Amino acid sequence: MFFRLLMESFRRQRRRKLLAGIAILLGTTAVTAMLALATTIGDRIHKELAVYGANIIVYPKADQLEVKVGGVSIKPASSSTYLKESDLAKLKTIFWANNITGVSPELSSDIRFGGELFRRNISVPLRGYWFNHDFNNFKTGAPALHPLWKLQGNWPQSQTDPHSDFQAVLGADLARRLGKNVGDQVTFPSDTDLGYTADPKVAKFSPSHERAPIKIVGIVTADNETDSEVLMALPDVQAIVMGNDNIGADPISRVEISARTKPEDAFARKDPDTLSPKDHEIWYCRPYANSIAYQIREAIPGAQAEQLRRVEQSEGNVLKRISGLMWLISAAALLAAGFAVSAAMATAILERRGEIGLMRSLGASKGAIALLFYAETGILAIFAGALGYLAGSGLAAWLGARIFRGDGGASEAILIPVLLPVVVALALAVVIGGSTPSIRAALRMNPSAILREDA
Amino acid sequence: MATLSLSGILRRSLIHRRARSISALIAMTVSAGVATALLTLYADLDQKLHKEFRSFGANIVITAPANTPLPSNALTQVQQVAGPDASAAEFAYAVATTNVATAVVVAGTDFPAAKKLNSWWQVDTWPDPSTSNSALVGQRAATAIGNTLTIALSYAGKPITLQKAGRLITGGDEDSRIYMPLAAFTAWTGIAPTVIELQVPGGAKRVEATIARLKNALPEVQVQPVRQLVEGESRIVDRTHALMYGAVLLIALTVAVSVLATLSASVLERRRDFALMKALGGSQMQLMAMFLLEALVLALAGVAAGFVVGSIAAWIISEGNFHTATLPHLSVLPMVLLVNLVIATLAALLPLRVLRGLQPAALLKGE
Repeated sequence: MFFRLLMESFRRQRRRKLLAGIAILLGTTAVTAMLALATTIGDRIHKELAVYGANIIVYPKADQLEVKVGGVSIKPASSSTYLKESDLAKLKTIFWANNITGVSPELSSDIRFGGELFRRNISVPLRGYWFNHDFNNFKTGAPALHPLWKLQGNWPQSQTDPHSDFQAVLGADLARRLGKNVGDQVTFPSDTDLGYTADPKVAKFSPSHERAPIKIVGIVTADNETDSEVLMALPDVQAIVMGNDNIGADPISRVEISARTKPEDAFARKDPDTLSPKDHEIWYCRPYANSIAYQIREAIPGAQAEQLRRVEQSEGNVLKRISGLMWLISAAALLAAGFAVSAAMATAILERRGEIGLMRSLGASKGAIALLFYAETGILAIFAGALGYLAGSGLAAWLGARIFRGDGGASEAILIPVLLPVVVALALAVVIGGSTPSIRAALRMNPSAILREDA
Repeated sequence: MATLSLSGILRRSLIHRRARSISALIAMTVSAGVATALLTLYADLDQKLHKEFRSFGANIVITAPANTPLPSNALTQVQQVAGPDASAAEFAYAVATTNVATAVVVAGTDFPAAKKLNSWWQVDTWPDPSTSNSALVGQRAATAIGNTLTIALSYAGKPITLQKAGRLITGGDEDSRIYMPLAAFTAWTGIAPTVIELQVPGGAKRVEATIARLKNALPEVQVQPVRQLVEGESRIVDRTHALMYGAVLLIALTVAVSVLATLSASVLERRRDFALMKALGGSQMQLMAMFLLEALVLALAGVAAGFVVGSIAAWIISEGNFHTATLPHLSVLPMVLLVNLVIATLAALLPLRVLRGLQPAALLKGE
């Protein structure tokens, strides 16, 4: 009997059920979409903030003081200590390895341009970078960490063939000063021009030639000191710096790392070595910039890792505010949708006072009637809630893809399974909460009064 | 019995079915409240976000041409051009030699200005601005000179002794430098400031405009935006703005539909009133006006209550998240009013289409 009543109620009152169902559906859609966006907003904003570049910097612990003003080294770095490129593989083994989204090692040196163009050789900074290097199953390197670099031409590639030219990208200012363009060549100076005692690269690649030609494959505009530098593939610069005696050496002078972090709080600022073992464990296992830097220091021998506070602190700030806003708005959406849906449910029950009166006069117990109504609204909530979950997930994916378009990978569907029970439970709670006062009010009334009023 | 005026019917209809009126009023209040809260937050969003971006520090760098200092009144001029809400700090640099014979960059600056500009600097104790020889030592520089409290430096043969007031940690170039008060720095090295770092609040447009004005006012110096900051800021603000817009539409739609369902159900339920009035000779137009008026009165009351509730909600959200209050915006009121009136009108008129086809007599007989 109970199930027949339930079935009939759905069969006969299609319009009313539809209306209540739509209200629940829309409510859960909105809530799901907001919650889905709020949980993924961190990653999305992190991707947007990639324009600020690295948030962790790694350099040799024993490195000398940098004498740099406005990004330009005043005193050329004398022979200093290096990290090893091969040690970077250890980054994949740290606890938060999956949070590392970009790695860009760098080797700095100087290069002199001489010969036909200048009476005097000029010395310009030479930097070796990764360009689209495969690391931990993603492509990374300097261009990925400096998305504002504007390249005309191509990034240089390391030359494995001894007979082909070196490839280099010139900074825009330097290219202007040299009067060179993409496709031109510059020549690497002879031994005597060079400050080094020997010219290892020349010896290694073209023993019979005095000069090694460098082919300009691109020109980069960065609006900072990079504009007056020469950029080459890291292995080429390593060969130049280390010379013939050290073939296979892989020095790097610093590494820029972009990592997804948790905004710093008071706990993050604690010195991990003064914490109790238990707190140390907690500190270690949270993706603070400080703990990631700590793990990098542990993993790479002789390395000093620091968070770049200008980027990290401010990013954390912005991230915290925006995700806070999203959560608060989600809460507001939840509240509003809850109110609206429960009001709709309340009206739906009030409308059916006649039915309640009839059932009671036919001898149904209050409990049985309440159960029937709860079962009805419960079924409605589960179905409409599940549909709303799907619709909301789709909506969130669509909204996310539209708003954050062009970031690559941002358009993946957001289907967060954890949200399904949460959303359905919320729908159930709201629906039951909304209809309870009306059911109680209807049950409290005298059935004959209801029936007469309605007749 | 007194003749029934329109207002009389209205009053009685609202009072007699009090429970129904209150639930409709609550529904209208919720819709107006949500609309008010979201629109108020939305109106303030850009300004609030831009404020958060201040923590990134300078977004314009003004550099003197090579080998010449900035004009002596450059800072005042920059402040004038950029406006009172911009913050600027000037820096002078020299490479000095430490007592252990290593080179170190020493920078002269105005500490209060630098503190205001560079909120990401982690400093344990800022130097007392009244003393001329207290210095901030970057962490790498501190290690290089052996962590002593007294720092002996010399520049071009001229010695100076500084007292270390605090340690500076940034992770950037600043870590290798020693910062000291500008006046003492210039007296010691004879070097005047060469760089002014300027932070202009607001978006990319304001930065561009300020740069243009600065180039006009100071033609001989180099004025450059810190491109990744300016670009990043406008990107994030745009995205968040769009996100908020989507959220506002979504929530408003949800609430509107639910409210519509509630209201139209309660209108539908009054079929018998409708039939009775029609049987007593009311025209379709009169009846429509009746229902509409009732809905509009509720809508107006809902806007009044909802505006208050919504403004409070916006204030709480804003205080909780951005730690600054959002005051009620009267400018959102017309929009909220419009939304509520549209919902009310739809809620009153949609069911009427169903009712129009009904025969009063059949309804009254209970068929």
